[in-house]
Amino acid sequence: MLKTRTLDAAQHRFGFALTVPALIAFLLLIFVPFARSLWLAFNEYLLTSAEPRFVGLANFVRLFADPGFRESWRVTGIFVICTTSITTLFGTTYALLLNEPMRGRTIIRAASLLPWVLPSTVTALLWSWLYNGQYGVVNAVLLWTGLIHQPIFFLSDSVGAMIAVISAKAWLSTPVVMLFVLAALQSLPQEQVEAARIDGANDFHVIRYVVLPHIRKTLGVMIILQAMGNLQMFDIIYAMTSGGPVRATTVFSIEVYRRAFENWDLGMASAIGVIWFLTIAVIAIPYLRSMFTETHGS
Amino acid sequence: MNPLVLASRRPVAVIARALALLFLVSFLFFPVYWMMVTALKPNQQIFVQFPEFIPTHPVLDNFKRAISQSNLPTYLVNSMITAGGSSLLTTTLAALAAYGFAKYRFSGRFATMNIMIGAQMFPFAVILISLYPMMQSAGLLDTLTGLTIAYVVFALPPAIYILFSFYSRLPNELIEAARIDGASEIAILRRIVLPLSKPALISVAVYSFTWAWNDLLYSLTLVTSDNLRTIGPGLLLTFFGEMQQDWGGAMAAAILASLPAVIIFAFLQRFFVAGLTSGAVKS
Repeated sequence: MLKTRTLDAAQHRFGFALTVPALIAFLLLIFVPFARSLWLAFNEYLLTSAEPRFVGLANFVRLFADPGFRESWRVTGIFVICTTSITTLFGTTYALLLNEPMRGRTIIRAASLLPWVLPSTVTALLWSWLYNGQYGVVNAVLLWTGLIHQPIFFLSDSVGAMIAVISAKAWLSTPVVMLFVLAALQSLPQEQVEAARIDGANDFHVIRYVVLPHIRKTLGVMIILQAMGNLQMFDIIYAMTSGGPVRATTVFSIEVYRRAFENWDLGMASAIGVIWFLTIAVIAIPYLRSMFTETHGS
Repeated sequence: MNPLVLASRRPVAVIARALALLFLVSFLFFPVYWMMVTALKPNQQIFVQFPEFIPTHPVLDNFKRAISQSNLPTYLVNSMITAGGSSLLTTTLAALAAYGFAKYRFSGRFATMNIMIGAQMFPFAVILISLYPMMQSAGLLDTLTGLTIAYVVFALPPAIYILFSFYSRLPNELIEAARIDGASEIAILRRIVLPLSKPALISVAVYSFTWAWNDLLYSLTLVTSDNLRTIGPGLLLTFFGEMQQDWGGAMAAAILASLPAVIIFAFLQRFFVAGLTSGAVKS
């Protein structure tokens, strides 16, 4: 049997060299800009200022005194929690239903990914049209079934606009959850399901005591990824409502965009960015920890 | 075959399952159907309170208008260039780095890689705040090159993670055997590793393409000339104006804007789904 050669220094250098281009791109495009934005959070930096001026925590003091900011915190929370729960519920249910043998299942699965492939502006246009106040099909159905008597102008109503953006984002992400849960169900041990049935378990018991424990890890990762993605959501909300009416759908991403690229108040935009980043970090830590264990374990 | 979970044959259970499936299938497919139906209707059938669910007189006027009266073809070409370019760039950078991290031992590789993977927590808008002036001073603002480079931000960290997982599972024996035969490190990479990783590379390429193709934030900010716009801001600024009421044209344009990504996805779906589910990614 051949003895495995240990790599020599030149080979290690080759390996390191392979990572250099990505490292440079990462530093220039992601790390340095991000670090600079974090630093800007402690500065006053307006369109009119020549250079950022260090002001310590002044931006944060102003932020926490600002009711508008507290409002965007609340709006972000509602959007993220509602969208993540609905997507997880729909995606998991859909996966369980598509797990059963039926004709055309493969095609339905593949076609269900369509919402995920459409450009986000298309999703936004489509859902704005569905929720249109005068000619939208949602209003037509609600009027026709007699649930309402007057059409609702969803996008100019604060609750309606929130419903509209949540449905658009849930529509976009449900297929992804379905896909991952379906993949996790593939390794569900048949014997456990059968053993439970012999013990008299019905479908609910099987889901509760066999399926959910089995897909728990996948669901956990999906919920974290959904929450991270929803916390970052910009495209669909901006295109559908621009954060309105008034501030009803102004989530963090829109707040930062407005302050940075409409008011050119980069210091304040960065300060919100810091709080936004910390919120994401709290959610992301368990996920990253599992990733890091994987990278070290190999 | 996956094990059967929902097995009850009681009528109530069968009906409940059918209703749930009907609801979810309608939720996912009806909007797409409605987009197509609206695009095929003449205006007088669009602007009614109770619309027809099956168009009685389908017409192609909306498509003709969407192509001739907007810059849609230009937007599509620009999106192809920026999304295609950044996908190629991201996949190349990530593949080399992931292979280096997975199969060589050099100090600091875990720390470096974990920081790169951890960058998925950085909000894109926060990066953009400082990327914008950097692009400006590099003269890359309002250019397709600049936008293509900026798109690397979206997919580079997850791409490195997905490909790292893939390369870690690649048996070392293959590489060792080639080394014993005297193959150089570059030859091993080119003749053995890259051909073997084709499915993973395709899935990462599709993933980063989709991110760039879907983008609105970066394209809206980094590009301002109409002839350089991509489909995201292009559609937004053409069809979301205050006075805009051309829903037929908007739906036709939306369909045309979706086609390239849908076609690519339909062909590569097989690779993509397997690659995506093997390493979880943000959606």
